[in-house]
Amino acid sequence: MTIQRGVSLYSYQQSQFIKRLNLQQMIEEVGSNLYGANGIELVDEMSLRYPDPGEAFVREWFGWHEKYGTRPVAMDVGMDVLQFRDHVMTYEECAERLKSDIRLAKRLGFTNVRTLSVVPIEIIEMALPLAESLDIKLGKEIHQPMTLEGVEVTQILDLVERTGTSHLGIVPDLGIFQFRPSEVLLEWLERKGAQPSASEASVELALMVRDGGAAYEHFKVSKQTAGNIRAAFGSFVQTGVVAPGLKDAFQGVKEFTEIKVENPQAIDYRTVAEALMMSHTSLDALRDLVPQITHIHGKFNYMSEVPGSVGEFTEISIDYPGVIGALKAGGYLGYINSEYEGQRYFQDRGLEGIKDEVDQVRRHQAMLVKLIGA
Amino acid sequence: MFESFLVRPDSLRNDVANGEVVGFSLAVRHANYRGCYISLHNGYFLEVDGVQYDRALQTFEVNGKNPRTYEQLKTQVWEHWDYDDEGILHVALPGGLRPGMHTIRLQQSVLAAYGYLPTDDEWVTSPPVPGTGLGSDKTPDIVSYEIELQNGAN
Repeated sequence: MTIQRGVSLYSYQQSQFIKRLNLQQMIEEVGSNLYGANGIELVDEMSLRYPDPGEAFVREWFGWHEKYGTRPVAMDVGMDVLQFRDHVMTYEECAERLKSDIRLAKRLGFTNVRTLSVVPIEIIEMALPLAESLDIKLGKEIHQPMTLEGVEVTQILDLVERTGTSHLGIVPDLGIFQFRPSEVLLEWLERKGAQPSASEASVELALMVRDGGAAYEHFKVSKQTAGNIRAAFGSFVQTGVVAPGLKDAFQGVKEFTEIKVENPQAIDYRTVAEALMMSHTSLDALRDLVPQITHIHGKFNYMSEVPGSVGEFTEISIDYPGVIGALKAGGYLGYINSEYEGQRYFQDRGLEGIKDEVDQVRRHQAMLVKLIGA
Repeated sequence: MFESFLVRPDSLRNDVANGEVVGFSLAVRHANYRGCYISLHNGYFLEVDGVQYDRALQTFEVNGKNPRTYEQLKTQVWEHWDYDDEGILHVALPGGLRPGMHTIRLQQSVLAAYGYLPTDDEWVTSPPVPGTGLGSDKTPDIVSYEIELQNGAN
């Protein structure tokens, strides 16, 4: 027994958008070209006719898995709280949507349902009895800049302890082990006008926060989603206004930018602020939480070839060797599903400039094979 | 996301009704990695050759139904706009657009995001006006396209 490999079809979002791959072709790719990977994860509102894909589809779906030797592992579900437009959805209404998604996941043979990192624990608790009765494991995603030591994980552990359930856990997104901004994100920002010195400052600050100890604690802003931090920082640069919990970090980024970057513009501040998106969570926590992991999102932004090693690939911004080591030490036997997200940083360059998602996922799986087998 | 690909390049056409050109239309996709309930669709910031066409002039055609206003779409709380599907954005403009190339600037607003947000209550009573990036989740910048008017209907 060892760590199992699969792919979140989120990785192929661009191929689907530009109609290069359909769902069947994605499943065929996973089953045929990824060195024995067999797990399929998908986002319901991306991959399916939603909320009811129809009986004919369900038959086709199981036929594909039989044909390509794959299996449905996890369905990722969302929660848009303004769906009804005349009021904000209550927890009960959100729980109804989650329950409906759990039933859909069961119908399609999935064993796990992933909820967003921001879903309140009360909603998960309301849906838990249905998940148990259908033998579906609910996993709450822990996404950067959240940490494994934070309240999101504690709440899940408390609920597991209180209910004794075996159908609830966490889905670590390996972006939480990112320790510097991705090179493809920085290149994208530079094409938008950021100065190279801002990219360098962003990497330098991220590494200083990682290695600098207590003096850099105020740069750790893990309570928010990355999107909200980016939006709040943009508004801080424009207006100087910021919520108290973020003030020290934002002020620190601003000052650091002004030291490192000549005549900084808004895009330069934004680039340096990417240093705030790192989780700074610990590999020991990952090892200790192995029993609570339903499955893992193998997040990556760019797989580059290791210099001097043809056919060997690496993600330079995420500590994959450390992660796989901690998972092995904890005895993890579940799935790591490749989750490619860096395609968005090439989409400003037209069809000629976009990245090949199929190739990127193959490279990621090749790296996983090597690390898991080592 | 998908900045270069939100508008189908061969989709800009004049709309004809009863023999008269009543406006123009173009085909658009989700500026995201997923679909959403159509009720969340809040319209477009749209500028053609420097002239802005606000939501009151726009209707949206999707799921094989006739073009609808955003006030009508808002009530369709169980109808889903699937990720794979194009929608046709229609704009009322008697006489339509002149032949040739046009500069289109566009931003889509869909009130879909991750979980509860501080803006939720405000957006129930007064949703953001497209163009500011608010309510534009994964693609908050206005995108510019140079495309040519085609013959025939969408």
